[in-house]
Amino acid sequence: MSAVASDVAFAHRLRVAVHADDPLRRAALCKVVAEAGHMVVGLQDEADIVLADGSRPPDEARSVVGLGIVDDRLRGALPREADARQIDAAIRAVAAGLIVRTPVRENGFGAMRESEGHALLTPRELEVLAALAEGMTNKAIARRLDISLHTVKFHVESLFRKLGARTRTEAVAKAAERRRSEIIML
Amino acid sequence: MSFSSDALSQLSDAISARAEAAKNTVVAVRLGEGRHLTGMVWQSGVVVVSEQSLPRGDEFELVAPGGSTLAAKLAGRDASTNIAILKTADVIAAPALAAADAHMGTLALAIGADGEGGVSARLGAVNLVGGEWHSRRGGLIDRRIVLDIGLAHREEGGPVFDATGGCLGMSTFGPRGQVIVIPHATLTRVVPQLVKDGHVARGWLGVALQAVAVPDALRESADQTGGMMVMSVVENGPAAQAGIVAGDIILSVDGISAHRFRKIARYFGGDSIGRKADVRVIRGGAIITVQTTIAERRAA
Repeated sequence: MSAVASDVAFAHRLRVAVHADDPLRRAALCKVVAEAGHMVVGLQDEADIVLADGSRPPDEARSVVGLGIVDDRLRGALPREADARQIDAAIRAVAAGLIVRTPVRENGFGAMRESEGHALLTPRELEVLAALAEGMTNKAIARRLDISLHTVKFHVESLFRKLGARTRTEAVAKAAERRRSEIIML
Repeated sequence: MSFSSDALSQLSDAISARAEAAKNTVVAVRLGEGRHLTGMVWQSGVVVVSEQSLPRGDEFELVAPGGSTLAAKLAGRDASTNIAILKTADVIAAPALAAADAHMGTLALAIGADGEGGVSARLGAVNLVGGEWHSRRGGLIDRRIVLDIGLAHREEGGPVFDATGGCLGMSTFGPRGQVIVIPHATLTRVVPQLVKDGHVARGWLGVALQAVAVPDALRESADQTGGMMVMSVVENGPAAQAGIVAGDIILSVDGISAHRFRKIARYFGGDSIGRKADVRVIRGGAIITVQTTIAERRAA
């Protein structure tokens, strides 16, 4: 990155507090925020924007970008499955004093999807995914699961393919989203 | 020259009269900052709203027909059928809502609250009618009714009428902005349960499940490619009492494949409570059968 470009990026670096009930989802969102060049700060710290997933933090006076939250008072309202680019754009727009909405509600009251339509993850792939979410390297994953590095790579590639992800962060975020829509309480 | 007696102006007058007559069927649910949702007056003191659009909270302010403000309390919500109930202490005159079946291609009139005690109207056609379906949250919706109608967010939750003045149900948004109807039959079934208990009775094992692929080695003996992995077990729930643990992969319940969500959702209806059920699971590389007793789901 050139010196000028990095200056520009620095000028637009925002302090973002992340609120999510699901720890896996929170980890994924923190990564998305950090990789977009922003600084992740605690909910108690001074922040330009609060990124909230699922529920709005009570009595939050700062500007909130919400994911999958029904609340007309939100400055930024994105669907749960918003991608990294949309989240970054919403954070910057709301920090600049704009209101962000998606044109139609993607997520209206809809029919149950049967799981046969797409490739299911295996129990082993779920274990690898949990390790990815903790930011573990392939080597560390191999040690934890007591399998070869080659096998870990095989599982990671299979995860990318099944989830349609290109990076580890994206795989974790997509899996968390999928888990949210696929987990059923019985 | 006057056209007052031609078919088009008669149609127009009839629609306008119907919309006017529907003004005692809706209330506005205030959301703050001048925004509102529509609620449908189901019976005196009982208002039905779209669950997905109702913010969390126990107390709401309504604008009744005519413009007076009423306090309302949340009496129950069921995300599985997208129905929430608000109760008012003050009496709201209940309109006479006659149920009607939807027919493809017929006219539909959707009524919303204007926020000041009046109504707004939307006219369109019934775009599609189908059989019963299950929502993502497992609720049974008696018919699939899609409207060819534009609806503002503030109008969601109002009644939809056919040309005879019969009520098809409550308007709501489906995926991608599609306007659908929660049928009158579903409201008739669910509202009394919500009014009585605050939730809808469903069978319950006390597990959180995620669809997984059955490991290759067991695919043949399991005779299925997918199952539901137990992600967590509710303490002292029916599954816990039967010895089911996180990591087990449930293959079937009483012979119904666990990944057939719709069939499973139907099997765990209110009538399943108290039933003994055989659960086939993969545990430690072997397939075993565990007997459980289905309990009633605890209020969320």
